[in-house]
Amino acid sequence: MRVNVVEKEVMDPLAETAANKIELSSTPEKINKITYFDNTKPNADVILNKIKENLNIDSIDAQKPAGDGATEEQMKEAQKGDVVILALGDCGSCTTWVILDAVRLEKEGKPTICICTHKFADYAKSLAKAQGAEDLRIIEMEHPIAGLKENDVKAKTEKIIPEIKKLLKIN
Amino acid sequence: MKKPETNKDTCGCSIEDLLNENIEKEEKRLCEVSKNDIEVFIEPDAEKISYEFYMKKQTDGLPVIPPTGERVRKFIEFSGLEKDDLIAVLPPRSGKATVEKIAINSVMAGCIPQFMPLIQHSIKAISKEKFNLPGVNATTHPVAICTILNGPVTNEIGINTGTGCLGPGNIANSTIGRAIRLCLMNISGAIPGIGDHATLASPSKYSFCFGEAEKETPWEPLHVERGFNLNDSTVTLMALDSPHNVNDHRSKTAEDLLDTIIHTASVAGCNNSHVPGEMLIIMGPEHAKTIADDEWSKEYVKEYFHKNAVVPVELGDRGGRKLDKKWIRDGEIPITRNPADVTLMVAGGPGRHTMICHGFGTSSESVTELIKLADGSAASSVLDFKNK
Repeated sequence: MRVNVVEKEVMDPLAETAANKIELSSTPEKINKITYFDNTKPNADVILNKIKENLNIDSIDAQKPAGDGATEEQMKEAQKGDVVILALGDCGSCTTWVILDAVRLEKEGKPTICICTHKFADYAKSLAKAQGAEDLRIIEMEHPIAGLKENDVKAKTEKIIPEIKKLLKIN
Repeated sequence: MKKPETNKDTCGCSIEDLLNENIEKEEKRLCEVSKNDIEVFIEPDAEKISYEFYMKKQTDGLPVIPPTGERVRKFIEFSGLEKDDLIAVLPPRSGKATVEKIAINSVMAGCIPQFMPLIQHSIKAISKEKFNLPGVNATTHPVAICTILNGPVTNEIGINTGTGCLGPGNIANSTIGRAIRLCLMNISGAIPGIGDHATLASPSKYSFCFGEAEKETPWEPLHVERGFNLNDSTVTLMALDSPHNVNDHRSKTAEDLLDTIIHTASVAGCNNSHVPGEMLIIMGPEHAKTIADDEWSKEYVKEYFHKNAVVPVELGDRGGRKLDKKWIRDGEIPITRNPADVTLMVAGGPGRHTMICHGFGTSSESVTELIKLADGSAASSVLDFKNK
């Protein structure tokens, strides 16, 4: 007699995801105003100011919380620009909310660029993908940013400016 | 002893004999299509399954109970719902927390089926927007998710509210919190280093669940304070630092004792010191008695704490982000925004200790969820959930 001993199957603990794909808004040919969306992380302002100085395009300064989503009021303020540049994702909760707020803006039709440090960039990309926004524009800066002197942060920012210009289609 | 006689036609014969009986007369009893004559199902090897799940980053590193269909079904039977019913979508991964997925993770955690209603209500609570699960999961801060049980269900499931209630030794305390953690990893995506970026994390992320010692508290219990009836059962979910002890064997007055607690709470480096928010005080029954003996109400204790738990502005400014000037009060930053931010409850055994837990600053608000049946009525027992 042939007896087969079979281990009972186990069930999969991983859940399916509920996100729908989001079509990103393209950056306009002519940019009149850029919103610099500062999540108040240390040195995020230094990064954004350095970019602002370099691009020399009219700007709107807006702020949002680091570890939480922007309020409706803050979202409205951010949407006044043609493009929104968000900084900074250099920790877990702030990266999460840079990405989630960027996804919210993209859903409103506003093109975004997110700045995250390289230690959190993989997470930022996987989170964007889980939200249905695989192609979200995420720029990596060298980690760390917090705790650095202003000139060091500026030097790191200079390295990402060509990529920002490319995304904004400006020279 | 005399060996009993056997009759080959009726009993004592082996299964092999029975199966081969008449085989030569082409009256085969065995299916020729099947590769096997008999399939015997056995329980999966827990060590092997634990290792396989661990390698897929689906566990907290401790062994798990293999979630077989049979075991998972027993948990679903205690949900009062169908297996595909959606309890919540958990951010940031937008994972669908169905009854079945919660049950699978609860089996793995070592729960018993009767805990299922408490776990599914806890999952619903943390999915509320104000809890900010995306931030709580992903942060470099070590914030853990604390589950506090109140009401008759506390006694029913025998959760520890007394001696050592924040430590090991009780299946409800140990596994309900663990089930929530496994749901966070496998449904929400809070895998350490992937979706959970806590720089150091904390032991509280394994399991952080206990109940209030309602018979010991001189005040109204937490769920009543939050608007529920004494006979309701609730889960309160809070995003918290690990507990920090306050040892005070000497204070004889409410004021002296609270000043010790306040001094322990008023420190730079916690989130509350630069973004004031919620705070949990788990007061040992002996400390609670000292305060109540001086006729201090719960409300007054919370007001006193809020007023006096402060850090100098220069210390508050060392926190995780730029200090918002709106929090500065006479050169100081309050640890809480208002007295309501102070959650005061009683738990623990004999001894003169209290535990305090800082919150996640302004980035998470606690949620209390009534344990209720599918028709919306308050459950009086976890047994009410058992599918008929």
